[in-house]
Amino acid sequence: MSTNVIMPQMGESIAEGTITKWMKKVGERVDRDEPLFEISTDKVDAEIPSPAAGLLTQILVKENETVAVNTVVAVIDGEGSAVAVPAATEPKPETAHQGPIHAAPQAAAHIPPPAAPTASEQIETGEDDVRTSPLVRRIARENNVDLGQVKGTGLGGRVNKKDILDFIEQRGPGTPVAPSAPAPAIAPTPSPVSFTGASQAVPMTPMRKQIAEHMVASLRTSAHVYTVVEAEMTRVVAARDRFKEEFERRHGIKLTFTSFFVRACVEAIKESPIINSSVDGTNIIYRRDVNIGIAVALENGLIVPVIKRADEKNFLGVARAVQDLADRARTKRLSVDDVQGGTFTITNPGSFGGLFGLPIINQPQVAIMGVGAIEKRPVVRDDAIAIRHMVYLSVSYDHRVIDGATAEKFMGRVKKILENWDEAVL
Amino acid sequence: MPLLTYLEAIRQGLWEEMERDPSVFVIGEDIGVYGGAFKVTAGMLEEFGEDRVIDTPISESAIVGAAIGAALMGMRPVVEMQFMDFIACGFDQIVNMAAKLHYRWGPAVPMVIRGPSGAGVHGGPYHSQSNEMWFVHTPGLKVVAPASAYDAKGLIKSAIRDNNPVIFYEHKFLYRRIKEDVPDQDYVVPIGKAVVRRPGTDISVITYGAMVWTALEAASELEKEGLTLEVVDLRSLLPYDEETVLASTRKCSKVILLHEDTRTGGMGGELAAVIAEKAFEALDGPIVRVTAPDTPVPFAPPLEEYFLPNTQKVMEAARRLAAY
Amino acid sequence: MAGTGSSTKVVRTTKIDAALLGKMIYYLKLTREAESRIENVLYRQGKIVGGVYVGRGQEAIGVGAALTMRAGDVTFPCHRDFSVFLIRGFTLADMMANWLARGDSPTRGRENTLHIGNVDLGIFPIISPLGATLPVACGAAMVLKRRGKGNVALVHFGEGTTSLGHVHEAMNFAAVQKLPVIFICNNNQFAYSTPVEKQYAVESLAVRGPAYGMPGESVDGTDVLAVFGAVERGNARARAGKGPTFLECVTLRMTGHSAHDAAEYVPEKMKQTWAKKDPIQRLEKLILDKKILSRKQIEELEGKVREEVDAAIADAEARPLPPGKEAIEGVYCDTECWWSKKRL
Repeated sequence: MSTNVIMPQMGESIAEGTITKWMKKVGERVDRDEPLFEISTDKVDAEIPSPAAGLLTQILVKENETVAVNTVVAVIDGEGSAVAVPAATEPKPETAHQGPIHAAPQAAAHIPPPAAPTASEQIETGEDDVRTSPLVRRIARENNVDLGQVKGTGLGGRVNKKDILDFIEQRGPGTPVAPSAPAPAIAPTPSPVSFTGASQAVPMTPMRKQIAEHMVASLRTSAHVYTVVEAEMTRVVAARDRFKEEFERRHGIKLTFTSFFVRACVEAIKESPIINSSVDGTNIIYRRDVNIGIAVALENGLIVPVIKRADEKNFLGVARAVQDLADRARTKRLSVDDVQGGTFTITNPGSFGGLFGLPIINQPQVAIMGVGAIEKRPVVRDDAIAIRHMVYLSVSYDHRVIDGATAEKFMGRVKKILENWDEAVL
Repeated sequence: MPLLTYLEAIRQGLWEEMERDPSVFVIGEDIGVYGGAFKVTAGMLEEFGEDRVIDTPISESAIVGAAIGAALMGMRPVVEMQFMDFIACGFDQIVNMAAKLHYRWGPAVPMVIRGPSGAGVHGGPYHSQSNEMWFVHTPGLKVVAPASAYDAKGLIKSAIRDNNPVIFYEHKFLYRRIKEDVPDQDYVVPIGKAVVRRPGTDISVITYGAMVWTALEAASELEKEGLTLEVVDLRSLLPYDEETVLASTRKCSKVILLHEDTRTGGMGGELAAVIAEKAFEALDGPIVRVTAPDTPVPFAPPLEEYFLPNTQKVMEAARRLAAY
Repeated sequence: MAGTGSSTKVVRTTKIDAALLGKMIYYLKLTREAESRIENVLYRQGKIVGGVYVGRGQEAIGVGAALTMRAGDVTFPCHRDFSVFLIRGFTLADMMANWLARGDSPTRGRENTLHIGNVDLGIFPIISPLGATLPVACGAAMVLKRRGKGNVALVHFGEGTTSLGHVHEAMNFAAVQKLPVIFICNNNQFAYSTPVEKQYAVESLAVRGPAYGMPGESVDGTDVLAVFGAVERGNARARAGKGPTFLECVTLRMTGHSAHDAAEYVPEKMKQTWAKKDPIQRLEKLILDKKILSRKQIEELEGKVREEVDAAIADAEARPLPPGKEAIEGVYCDTECWWSKKRL
């Protein structure tokens, strides 16, 4: 049984790595986890442990050569049992992710090592770098799946049928390409419940299981406290109404309420950095970057793409990021980078009509804001009843590190920014 | 339903056809007085007489040739090869005469050549071969290889009623090891139809003959590991049931082709080709063959054991393929 | 050189039947004319493709043997036994169509030369490994024996194939089973280029009969009456349930193995000697001597034969070649049998 040694992905956006040193020669024995070679990437230099024990039979990439991640760089012929458990011998590309981010509903475990590909990289590398089968390629084609997004659990990281079906199940069927062949052999099954009795047991999808675990773990981990404020949206609605056409014409992107909320939160967080922290044992980890996660509902779950360094972006920058993530979430092209590293999350029960929700914190973050439905309500202004666009904003915060006063101050700031919206939109 | 061995089921099928149709007769070496080397035709001489249970000289060419002549004259002869290994002596008659007659000038050639094949009984190189592919590669012949007693009876009847030369591969290892409820009334199993012996989803094991049982055993074992094998029993090798092969391939996406016959040019190669041609995009892993190696069948028990595919070998291949 | 009548008794027939002699001369001449057109005209015109094998000089064997046959008898003629097919019921036009690879022919273009058969006519053709028909003839004879109507199976083959295992097995099998089969060996002294000295080591193949437990006889294969008589004797035994007979008919192949073979390996003197024994001339002389037919009547017969052959060739040539896609049809005899469908 031979094991392929691959160039690991050491970091979110790493597409390639350079082998700087081989610590073993062909023909030498190597133990599992024994240092095998050193690499240098844009981000890190690292010593790579051998994925398996055995004889190093081939070195396919010489020192100082640069190859794409997942390239097979060496082959180790295993010893003992002929039956390999290849999944276990794979280097874990996640090891290099910064921080102990157990992204809850981010489906991280099912999103693969390959670098978040930019559009142009996508064309160059394409699917052909994915080790897979004719079947999987067909399923990918028919279901609009970028195989680079699917984590392979097969031999040498191959994407196999189970991998892609799990991926599709989590993602939802997406927009299937009309199959040219007669009925595809394997239907991506969003199993409809057909009752044979009073109740029917349907196994959870892996994504559902993951969400369940993370939600319960979060409740167990954080001391959830909730508060709700009401904000008048008159200025925001006015600004949006006034500029949305021009904005779209000028920038080619939609002017959404989400961008306003993100901007408001970012500004408020700058004044309450504890909101942008996490807890590590008895330490509070403050995060320099403000990375705002936006919860997006999927048919069978949800995903939380993250606007990275939202604090460095102006309104237009935020709007672009929102649009980009929304588009890629819709076309199932989110990369591992896109769903990791969030420091604060905004969720939007209002989009389904909820007045407000009390969300569960997305670990290891310490706060999450829920945006209710924006609607006209009668409010008292100057002792008269007026009609105004209003919204309830809730926040769930971790009382381990955030006290009520801090939370109220934060929410007060968000409310104030929205009610007195004066930032240039265009 | 009476419990019959594989061998008894063949005899019952033959017997019923002899009773049903006076044009059916059996011919071969030591089949009359002695009742056949394995006793498949025991009692037939007494029942049907010398005209219909014909003991011959050791002359496979003459036996097969005579059967062809009789078939051309409207009879339905059933030839017994004492061992399928000896069929080579009648090869010209089978492949050049019987197989091509209909294509050349149109006559029906309703005849069956049946006999014990296969290893596992320490028979050595000349009492153990699985040489079915010599005939699967011969258009005009039909080749069947039942694995169960039920199929053995149903297929011998289909073979006898067929208007073409049918080579009927019995597996001697199964003769007295398989016991099943077999209906004692008339029924047939159609030639060219496979059967799914055990449904599964992870890997399709396509096989025939004695290896069906090996596959079923491996499937039971692997189920404990959470791996479900689908076992397809081809039953007929020529024509083979392409539809079932492809359906099972499409269902499981991974395929093991298992046979006791040697590797190169075996049924597995043919099936692999048709799967690659017609179900390429259903494949989620390489098409894997588990077969005997390309050697004659050796005699000494350790050698024979090494030679033969077995449950362990199937399980190992299945685990490897599952991990792919 | 093959010996004639050395090992067992040779009984010359003395019975002269005018009608029978008339049939004999007609079929001999028809065969000679048809085969000569095939070899010297159609083949050279490129109308016949593939190999051309004829029975010049050996026509008496087929004619003599086939004319002994009764209803219910079956025959397994060889590729040099053109007359057998005619005598037992194929039309000349159908045979010519087969030579010309026509779709509407006994084999629908699947087979060449005289590899044509018909179950209803009781004619079963050779396959190219010639001796293989002998066991098959035994099987047919088994059925005839069981039917109990005194029918026989005649099987033709050459001396070359007697060296093949099939022949040994069949002769032994037939003798053991006492089958009504007549083994008719055309010993034309060359198997392709191999002379009899290199084929077998007995003086006459007739000894093969007794070796298996059946009579063996050797006759002059250019003497149609001798052949007829010998086959009749074998038939009589067989019809009486006494089993098979082996008959060697000694001739010389007066052509090459096939039309492309000049047969330079055959000594010139041998050719000259056997040319004098031409079976048609021999019978013609007898017929004239016995005044059964006049010279003029024979010339008329020759004219009629030429016309028949002309007509048959015209008929055959008018038929189309089979469409290529038919190559995949008719491999199996199943329901919807392709062979049972009428041709368009």
